[in-house]
Amino acid sequence: MNYFEPFGVDEALLKLGLERALSRGADWAELFFEHRVSQQVGLEDGAVDRAYLGVTLGVGVRVVKGDQTGYAYSEEISRAALSAAATTAAVIADGPARPAPIAFNATPLPNRYPTARPWAEVDLSEKMPILQRLNEQAFAADPRIAKVRVGLSHSQGAVLIVDSTGRVSFDLQPMGRLNIGCTAIDGARRESNGANYAARGGFELFSPQRLELLSSEAVERTLFLFDARPAPAGAMPIVLGAGASGILLHEAIGHGMEADFNRKGVSVYSEQLNQRIASEHITIVDDGTRLGDRGAINVDDEGAEGQRTTLVEQGILRTYMHDRISAEHYGVAPTGNGRRESFRHPPLPRMRSTYMLPGPHDPAEIIASVKRGVYAETFTNGQVMIGAGDFTFYIKTGYLIEDGKLTQPIKDTNIIGNGPEVLRQTDMVGTDFKFDDGGWVCGKDGQSVPVSLGMPTVRVSSITIGGVN
Amino acid sequence: MSDKLLEMAYAAAKQAQGHGADEAKVGVSRARGVDLEWRDGRLEQVMERTRSSLSAELYVEGRYSVISTNDLRPEALDAFLAEGVRMTRLLEPDPHRGLPDPKRYEGRAALDLQLADPNHGAKDSAARKQQIEALEALIRESSLPIISVSTSATDNRSESARVHTNGFEGARQSTSSALSAMVTLKDQGDRRPMGWDYTYQRFDEDLQPLSKLAAKALHRAANQLGAGALATGQYTIGVNRDAVGRLLGALLGPLFGPALQQQQSLWDGKLGAQIVSPLLSLYDDPHRPRGLGAALWDDDGFATRRRPIIERGVLSTYLIDDYYARKMGVAPTGADLHDLDWAYGDKDAAGLIKEIGEGVWIDRFLGGNHNSTTGEISLGAAGRMIRGGALAEPIAEFNLAGHFGELWSALVAVGDDPDINRSERCPTCVFEGVQLSGG
Repeated sequence: MNYFEPFGVDEALLKLGLERALSRGADWAELFFEHRVSQQVGLEDGAVDRAYLGVTLGVGVRVVKGDQTGYAYSEEISRAALSAAATTAAVIADGPARPAPIAFNATPLPNRYPTARPWAEVDLSEKMPILQRLNEQAFAADPRIAKVRVGLSHSQGAVLIVDSTGRVSFDLQPMGRLNIGCTAIDGARRESNGANYAARGGFELFSPQRLELLSSEAVERTLFLFDARPAPAGAMPIVLGAGASGILLHEAIGHGMEADFNRKGVSVYSEQLNQRIASEHITIVDDGTRLGDRGAINVDDEGAEGQRTTLVEQGILRTYMHDRISAEHYGVAPTGNGRRESFRHPPLPRMRSTYMLPGPHDPAEIIASVKRGVYAETFTNGQVMIGAGDFTFYIKTGYLIEDGKLTQPIKDTNIIGNGPEVLRQTDMVGTDFKFDDGGWVCGKDGQSVPVSLGMPTVRVSSITIGGVN
Repeated sequence: MSDKLLEMAYAAAKQAQGHGADEAKVGVSRARGVDLEWRDGRLEQVMERTRSSLSAELYVEGRYSVISTNDLRPEALDAFLAEGVRMTRLLEPDPHRGLPDPKRYEGRAALDLQLADPNHGAKDSAARKQQIEALEALIRESSLPIISVSTSATDNRSESARVHTNGFEGARQSTSSALSAMVTLKDQGDRRPMGWDYTYQRFDEDLQPLSKLAAKALHRAANQLGAGALATGQYTIGVNRDAVGRLLGALLGPLFGPALQQQQSLWDGKLGAQIVSPLLSLYDDPHRPRGLGAALWDDDGFATRRRPIIERGVLSTYLIDDYYARKMGVAPTGADLHDLDWAYGDKDAAGLIKEIGEGVWIDRFLGGNHNSTTGEISLGAAGRMIRGGALAEPIAEFNLAGHFGELWSALVAVGDDPDINRSERCPTCVFEGVQLSGG
């Protein structure tokens, strides 16, 4: 709590806010204070010549009665402003006032964001050579590289969550991210692509090895496109390469397992709990505990500790991802999935790091098993329709598989399928599990949160490839 | 109130200069909004949003940065501006950065764009609650297998002011209101298709009637009931006006300065050339009264005016802001797009479907992406078959793929039915010979 003292936050203010929030007899209430400092530095045409510095400060007040929510926020932290916001949020309830907590108890939290050099201690002059180095490495890698853009961004968020039981959670949340984009010219042809890396940590994230890897990935992925063409159109088997293919889990399966959709009966998984939804080779986890991971959280945004949650165990759907409201609805403990973009939003069940555990199949054997199909390697984005279960993801690079071998490079091809069907058709799972360390962002209800994902090589026996014949 | 925001902006610009900035652009904004969400017979969420922020673009010794904060306590703001100037000094110089030529601020139209509804707020939360409750009731009158109905109402009021230290000043107030409906149906197996509709306008009196929202949401959801597969092939497609924006975004993205300057635009070198079908004419129309994208000045402070973007398929202009124009050595054209005006046709969606005869109706796109450098596009989609000039069986899980330049060249009909809920004002569009792939 000491962090927020300079902003005027003390026990008297917390009591006032909760007292107002409970003034109409809600079940419970919560205050979410946030202070976030973020910076971005950019390189274009060889010069580190642009930067952004941002500060956000405010408090969100949530008042809950059953599964009804009143929410208001203030960007001014004062007795008057908090009192007004809490009084507004309280309108969701309509009963006699309930008492605010008498005492506050700080919750001890783990540290899942190991940070050697916090961003606040690193001056801009130390960051600029990182961008220059990436630029130089990219240009040195191939004479066809014509343009390079690099962006380094980081943020340090402080959150203080106080609820009407008196529970207090404080967390400092660092994040760093690097992007590199390249344009290459080969005769009359141009191609653009890039690579990015993101994790929770400080300046130490951007080691020389990391920079080397990132620039070579960006260059290779760009030049790859000169030899690639869109995939053929139609239904065929797909092999998803280890790592970034975890986007399949995120879109096809993950969103449908967020408990708010199921509580409302609008998810395709609403009546599937404890039923077999996939082969016994498939175990899917949503995990907030991985050290330094982009999706790691010490505590979620309503005070529940970040956890490792097994969603699908050997093909059986075991649990949804819960926030506090859905956990109370289902009569289970929260899973630590209550996340929000900022104090300007109420929390929702959201993914953290979602991945499939390795299975029994040799990755080479998986590729060799496909007569004609597609091998997907890198991706840009995906989307899902929760109720119908239809989902897409966009393959940026991959290969055709012909007679069990990787042949023609492919690019820029969308895949569409139905989540439950694809899960049932995932019939081979590789031994080669890999996390992806890209800067994935998940959007839901107008809120963005950082997530990560991972996957072993898998085979889906049939899916619709959005290519060109 | 706008005078107060202007005062704040001038004061912050002066402070920034006091800390060493040579020039600055400063914007200050405030907004307040209320959202009500109703689901299955009761109020689910009430939310009040009150925002304020200050942002500044700083020009310091030939260097440039952007800063923004909502911590507006005087001592915090002063320290923040000082830190912004200090940070900017550390950057490498950029000879192309600088405030625009003030002559380009001149000629601002003396128009009342009617951005703010004088009766905004007349419908209080109780009235909005009645509306969204009534909207659910209208949807529940349907005999379709409804699982869940969510409806919502949103009201926003905002005001902003901006100053540039070389003479630009602007302030505006605006309002908006929206109503929306979402319905989930029970389908075969575990499928639960969802349909939705919304209305979004600056003036409350311009919102569409609840009956239209209810009918459209139900229609969309019903369009997916029992959806089957599509055979891979080439089709004539009609694209719902709500979905055309996805194709338009791919077409227009490569016209902007950063894409051109970074050699990531397939439209590079195409100014004055026929790039798409002669049926496509698009005009940037910033002065439409009550327009969702209406503005008298753009982000550079340039006075806005109506201008062609594409006329009869010929590229009329790029969209280049002052900075990228300097970098490219060309005159700036203005990078903001406002309300769009199309050369609309003479048939609505039903008329165009009849004209198509046999083909595919795309109700929505799902995910997918495009490559602005080369033109490839691949999008997920759902909709209905068109048989005998009418909508037939629902289809889902198919992709549209090809080259977005070629796609827009295959435009064969434009509807007379602009989507008034978005500034793009897209009509129904019909394209021939489009590659679709299904299961």
